Amino acid sequence: MTTPRNRPATAAETGSTAETGDTATPEVPRLRVFRDAVAAEWMKLRTLRSTYAFVAGGAAATLLGMLILFLLVRAFDQATTAEQANYETADPTVVVMPFVEFFLGSIGAMLVTSEFTTGAIGPGLLAVPQRRLLLGAKATVAGAVGLCGGLLFALLSFAGARLLLGDRPAPLSPWQSWTDAMPTVLCAALVVAVTGTVALGLGAVLRSTASTLLTLGGLVLVAPVFAHFLPTAWQLRFGSVLLPNLTPQLAGSDHPYLLTRGGAVAVAVAYVVVALGAGALSFDRRDAS
Amino acid sequence: MIVVRELTKRYGPTLALDRLSFEVRPGAVTGFLGPNGAGKSTALRVILGLHHPTSGEALVGGRRYDRIRRPMREVGAVLDADAAHPGRTAFHHLACLARANGIGAARVTAVLERVGLAGVAHRRVGGFSLGMRQRLGIAGALIGDPAVVLLDEPVNGLDATGIRWIRSTLRSLAAEGRTVLLSSHLMSEMALTVDHVLIIGRGRLIGETSVARMRDRFARDVLVRSPRADELARVLTGLGAAVTTTGDGALVAVGVDAPTIGDAAAAASIPVHGLTPRSATLEDVYLEMTSGAVEYRAAAERTARP
Repeated sequence: MTTPRNRPATAAETGSTAETGDTATPEVPRLRVFRDAVAAEWMKLRTLRSTYAFVAGGAAATLLGMLILFLLVRAFDQATTAEQANYETADPTVVVMPFVEFFLGSIGAMLVTSEFTTGAIGPGLLAVPQRRLLLGAKATVAGAVGLCGGLLFALLSFAGARLLLGDRPAPLSPWQSWTDAMPTVLCAALVVAVTGTVALGLGAVLRSTASTLLTLGGLVLVAPVFAHFLPTAWQLRFGSVLLPNLTPQLAGSDHPYLLTRGGAVAVAVAYVVVALGAGALSFDRRDAS
Repeated sequence: MIVVRELTKRYGPTLALDRLSFEVRPGAVTGFLGPNGAGKSTALRVILGLHHPTSGEALVGGRRYDRIRRPMREVGAVLDADAAHPGRTAFHHLACLARANGIGAARVTAVLERVGLAGVAHRRVGGFSLGMRQRLGIAGALIGDPAVVLLDEPVNGLDATGIRWIRSTLRSLAAEGRTVLLSSHLMSEMALTVDHVLIIGRGRLIGETSVARMRDRFARDVLVRSPRADELARVLTGLGAAVTTTGDGALVAVGVDAPTIGDAAAAASIPVHGLTPRSATLEDVYLEMTSGAVEYRAAAERTARP
């Protein structure tokens, strides 16, 4: 049995009053509070099975991408030289990364929606009642998971592609050396991180797992397909600002899109600012639970 | 110390709290009593920063709850038994809360032992019974060893064992010198655990009293049975009591207590066959005080009342 003997004295016990607002508890630095909140969010993430299911989803997408690439390479080998010259670049990130963005982004969304749907947001806010700080901690975790997970799957797909492609020439092989692919791999990871924070912001606004994941899927999986049905001029304008298509524009690799590298950075930043801003506004103003 | 000043909360057209003001003194168990829909849960949610007040303020230890940087070390709360992710284990649920407040895992194990959940610490909360989830909620409230504990309807839906456990836990929390604010719509529950009562209805404070004073104030009358009722009635009237006769010949005396009636009857050699002091039950008192404040009542019930 515990006794309150060892607990930090509260304002009431030390005789300070509501008027003075003094407390005897030494004020913990805000940075420390933030750091603890990030650690708690990370713990929340790794103690839920759904997190691992989404990571498994990313792994499955990577494997599937490798299978498609394997079939493509086989078809390439059986084609005539003239046909081979017409093959498109076998950049694995184009096939794999939108799915990785969806699955790892979902982890970011779940950081907030799983709490709203299960009622765990109550104790969460009792533990960290500074809402913007709490959302910031969640965004940090969502971004970090996106960056690390994105890097892992981008590297895996790149390594797999290098092995499958061997020394086959361009245009099938997008890279001539290991180092050529690094900007694309890094930028793909960055886009996954952006997607994670965008998903978190969406989750804070929508508060429901189903609608947040549906919106996220629409954003990274359906919208690029939809763009293909637009007239070419619009296809490029619309396609250029879509999350998965930011990767080649950020990396400055060979791509048909319209944004400069700086433009792509600006669009990525805008995604984060708008989604987290709307999330913070909604999270801050509306009653919880 | 909890200070609530002029707290108003509006949900669209519904006025849940209407300039509610009260103070909860440290080191006592205070009951927050009111019918369903009176605003008890809303008030607790506003105090804890989960809901924003339309106007007014609520301070805990002189500060708004959302300004406290390590809140669980100062205030513990149980609002809803269903407030843990069902997929997480009890241990991890508490460990996440503890981590956010810079509290270590040893403390998590200690509170799980205190509430009797040590044996199921590594089982998922989704498989817990209501009683177990309520215990988990209390473990969460105690994790920072806070001086103030708030509980919203902690016995709701619990079986007899669960209710008894909550009662003894509340008593031991108070005995440890903690400030406890407990909401309930059950007067009988309050009578057993609470020192001080705040009665609210329709978002307003209706009354503030101690349980003992509430009982005294509503001590009503004494029922007397005697084979010589008429003679005894005269004796009692002579003592200044107002005496009426019931249909079955018993006397109801107001204004004298049972020992006085017994002594007077003995002095006059009048035999007494029954002597029953009657007081309003706390339940009656409570219903009387909140009758104007009950939000939903069947029309029939309303018209049937005298």
